[in-house]
Amino acid sequence: MTSNYNFAFLDENTKRMLRRALLKAVAIPGYQVPFGSREMPLPYGWGTGGIQLTAALLGPDDVLKVIDQGADDTTNAVNIRRFFARVAGVATTERTIEASVIQTRHRIPETPLREDQILVFQVPEPEPLRTLEPREAETRTLHALADYGLMHVKLYEDIAQYGHIATSYDYPVLVDGRFLTSPSPIPKFDNPKLDHSPALMLFGAGREKRLYAIPPYTRVESLAFEDHPFEIQRWEHQCELCGADESYLDEVVVDDLGSRMFVCSDTDYCGQRRAEQAA
Amino acid sequence: MMLAAFAHPVFDSQRNFRELLQAMARPAVPRLVPTPAAAPAPILPATMAVLLTLCDADTALWLQQPNEEVASHLRFHAGVRLVQEPADADFALITEPSSMPPLARFAHGELRYPDRSASLIVQVEGFDGNAGRRFAGPGINDVEQLAIAGLPAEFWQQRAAMSAQLPLGVDLIFISGERMVALPRTTRVLED
Amino acid sequence: MYVAVKGGEQAITRSLQLLAEARRGDLATPELTLDQIRQQLRLGVARVMQEGSLYDEELAAMAIRQAAGDMLEAIFLLRAYRTTLRRFGYTQPLDTNAMRVHRRVSGTFKDVPGGQVLGPTYDYTQRLLEFESAATSEPVEAAEPLPDAMPRVLDLLDAEALIERIDAGTDPEPADLTREPLMFPADRATRLQNLARGDEGFLLGMAYSTQRGYAETHPFAGEIRMGEVDVLICPEELGFTIEIGSITLTECQMINQFHGGNGLPPQFTRGYGLCMGEGERKAMSMALVDRTLRCDELGEPSYAPAQNHEFVLSHSDSVEASGFVQHLKLPHYVDFQAELSLLRTLSAQHAQRARDEEVTTQETSS
Repeated sequence: MTSNYNFAFLDENTKRMLRRALLKAVAIPGYQVPFGSREMPLPYGWGTGGIQLTAALLGPDDVLKVIDQGADDTTNAVNIRRFFARVAGVATTERTIEASVIQTRHRIPETPLREDQILVFQVPEPEPLRTLEPREAETRTLHALADYGLMHVKLYEDIAQYGHIATSYDYPVLVDGRFLTSPSPIPKFDNPKLDHSPALMLFGAGREKRLYAIPPYTRVESLAFEDHPFEIQRWEHQCELCGADESYLDEVVVDDLGSRMFVCSDTDYCGQRRAEQAA
Repeated sequence: MMLAAFAHPVFDSQRNFRELLQAMARPAVPRLVPTPAAAPAPILPATMAVLLTLCDADTALWLQQPNEEVASHLRFHAGVRLVQEPADADFALITEPSSMPPLARFAHGELRYPDRSASLIVQVEGFDGNAGRRFAGPGINDVEQLAIAGLPAEFWQQRAAMSAQLPLGVDLIFISGERMVALPRTTRVLED
Repeated sequence: MYVAVKGGEQAITRSLQLLAEARRGDLATPELTLDQIRQQLRLGVARVMQEGSLYDEELAAMAIRQAAGDMLEAIFLLRAYRTTLRRFGYTQPLDTNAMRVHRRVSGTFKDVPGGQVLGPTYDYTQRLLEFESAATSEPVEAAEPLPDAMPRVLDLLDAEALIERIDAGTDPEPADLTREPLMFPADRATRLQNLARGDEGFLLGMAYSTQRGYAETHPFAGEIRMGEVDVLICPEELGFTIEIGSITLTECQMINQFHGGNGLPPQFTRGYGLCMGEGERKAMSMALVDRTLRCDELGEPSYAPAQNHEFVLSHSDSVEASGFVQHLKLPHYVDFQAELSLLRTLSAQHAQRARDEEVTTQETSS
């Protein structure tokens, strides 16, 4: 552990600022709390929001897991894990069940989370309406009025053009029936895991300087229409390593001829299943 | 003589915060404050721990029962700004709930920024998880029951009135002995 | 047989070794010293301090060396270090009237009290590559010392009441963008702070666009001055002001035509730019953009990118922009997979529709 920096890198004032904002975020589920995001030693867009939240959470007894695309061994996940091992000296793990804090980019683990775990999402764009309305002053007002017509129109236009909703990730959700919220760019496959989750879920957008939360056991609905209910992705394949047929699959190009195979995106889940099969 | 604050400021604050966060995320369930801190009367050590964990020079605190010792203790250890008006407070400390100001006097936030609202820390007489009101809402799996002793009768009416303004409102942290219970604005009181 | 990719850890370690080797170059060549960078690359040091929001030549030089001369990377290094520094207090407002001037020019009057002082500038070099070393062995003959406080060009216009008056005394405490998020609408102090930290290239492009018809502001370079200014603080416990040192600043005051509007009479208006160290291009760009962003307050029609507060202020920061643009090289295969399966569905539906239509056409024609 590097002793030239405070525990978990951030100074205590910054942590208190983050902690106050986090409590407000939990108290107003799905609402984006502005916070004084700091420049971190990792680039904006690479998880600075998640890193700041994790830094405000971590204590010496925590066990940290970091995943990117569901995998513990992607370079950015490795880098963030190394960062916290270096500045906080915390124990790290690749096992979902061993972790007390899990920082993630783009996935929710397949293994069901527990009440004593916290999931921290890295968020590039916290505003679900941003691509429809670029002005922050305007989107704030739309949230204040709970006026989400823009999003409904967009989804309806999808249906008119394609016959179904053409959003496959970062699929907007309504939290506790009030705030339209970005679940971060997780595939919509993961959206059902947000609803009534036993674990607290925190979202940090460093560059955009916003954080928000979905408390445990909170109603989280993926937007849909009565005649076009929400549906998740399905594969015709099973994982070719562990045989799972209910997990999110990565498509891997395996030779120069473009042959493909499908494997679990969640490497811990896949590894555990294979270990069980081998035993 | 000035009382000490946390023995290990970095780690004590972190432990207290994690419990506070869980308390806010799982309303109406009492939890222990892990590292209470010495406090001048009428502040309880658990309350002081919450204040030291959350307050500093960037926060405005309103005290229901201010006294010189409390003020200098908080200024010295937290550098906190004390304010005279409940409406100006980020945090408010209620040490005698029977005579607390109505909830409407605290900042409820703005429609575009509902987070610009007060958090109230209220010292009460006790919690009983087998009696009292039933609560539902975010963070509660089905229903939680809890009796909070020592609140004035009009408190629940005021809070019900406040619920009509969601997402505006105030968030509450109750302290009794070494335990705390949070009641964020979104927690609903079920009719019997 | 495919096995799940492993080895992120080793890949990073190896990459760090390669980077260190590439940065250092040929070991037979001595490593740059910080003094060399500070003294011989002083304008680069100034830019890194300026956009890094930290006035420390040695740290800026260290960042430039570590970043192998990539200024945006050096700025990022300095910002990340700055995050960890304790805040002791805020300085008093800097008094640029009392600047010890090294350079002062005005485009508005042929001569001005105190004179036009070129100082060290590239303006009148002939941009010929000097194949011989530029080192002069002979020191420049000392000119007559400049007066301690040089009068301001804009004050001449102020005396005639031809330029808007801005009373700094009534300004509210400015926000601190390094501690609080940028919010909209943003007041002028907040905007100036954002521009001061903003990327020079971005501001230059924005400023240039205002000169080419995207929000014409008819500017004149009222005064550009560069020199040293004392930094004063007033610690709570002392109750009086003390000087903690001095820093080099470049300040630009633009004068802009204004035909009146929003209840204001025709008069000259001001655009303001300030940066740490020598940074004239940046200060001038900032002054142009600052004035352009005042369109709403002055009742000017707003249609150009440089007039759009959210557009300019949300995209000026190189650390934010560079990080987010470059995050695209991180893995996105989960989302890509989601898009891929969506596109396959859409494509299959499209093909099916085409087949159905063909069948219908054949049936009709037969």
